[in-house]
Amino acid sequence: MIRIFVGAFLAAVFVGGLGIIALAAGGSRSLDAYLVLASLLFAIGMFGFLARRNAISMLMSIELMLNAVNLSIVAFGGFVKGLGASGSVIALMVMAVAAAEATVGLAIIIAIYRNKKTPLVDEYDAMSQ
Amino acid sequence: MAIGTTIPFTTIPWDDALFVVFAGTMLLAAILVVTMKDIIRCGLAMMVCFGALAGIYVIIGAPLVAAAEVLVYIGAISVLVLFAIMLTQTKDAPASLVFQTQAIPAALAAVLLAVVTILAIIATDWGALAERVATNTTELAKKLFSEWVLPFEIVGVLLLAAVVGGVFLAKRERGRDGEREGGQFR
Repeated sequence: MIRIFVGAFLAAVFVGGLGIIALAAGGSRSLDAYLVLASLLFAIGMFGFLARRNAISMLMSIELMLNAVNLSIVAFGGFVKGLGASGSVIALMVMAVAAAEATVGLAIIIAIYRNKKTPLVDEYDAMSQ
Repeated sequence: MAIGTTIPFTTIPWDDALFVVFAGTMLLAAILVVTMKDIIRCGLAMMVCFGALAGIYVIIGAPLVAAAEVLVYIGAISVLVLFAIMLTQTKDAPASLVFQTQAIPAALAAVLLAVVTILAIIATDWGALAERVATNTTELAKKLFSEWVLPFEIVGVLLLAAVVGGVFLAKRERGRDGEREGGQFR
């Protein structure tokens, strides 16, 4: 119970601080706010990809990174004058390619799991023996 | 009835407030995705993260991208990931160790990347930017099927290839399962 309150308090502090930073950067009407958000999301995804042991967690981190890039593309499309609707079109293409990547990646993980009986990537050492 | 551009009794615009709420939700959910121990909960947190991201797309003014985000990511990819988790869960795996030994250098690298990128973003002069404009969906459709029609077709072929490849890779080989039991990989 106390952990829920501490977590909620930390979340409130986090969001409040983020709000102050966002309002200082010009709020939701400036390109910088979206790009900063995208870079933070990309950094979180990169940490997950490098640090997690489970192969499916790594794939989820890749999805986070793809979404960060997509967010920056859509933000540029919304703010840069000559781009117009092209930003949204490129974002839709990226989404389709991400869906294809998730399909093939998860199929590969399931195929490896069938041989090695583990989803942990540090057990996949057949090449080093 | 219009509800006005600012929150009642304050001077904070609605879009700024919603942006902060969505951004905070998205970042918190993303941190939970990469740090939580139970991988099923990681998948559910990923759905929350993508939902908040769809809200941010609406605030930017790209409603079609937001709808596609909900359909593709929350609807398809998250379900795919959850199914893959359920297919690869093992009872005897040492689940206590979530991170590899390189977790601390990875965290330092991630923080460094974020700091460098944010400094670059703030230092860059983006030139003459337009006001934030909502993307006209009719215009988007015209562009998609005239200027971008070749990438559109190629993406269609790519998706077909991915589906065929996924089915082929994940297919159980019935005839050879017996001889692979305790086979050359383990």
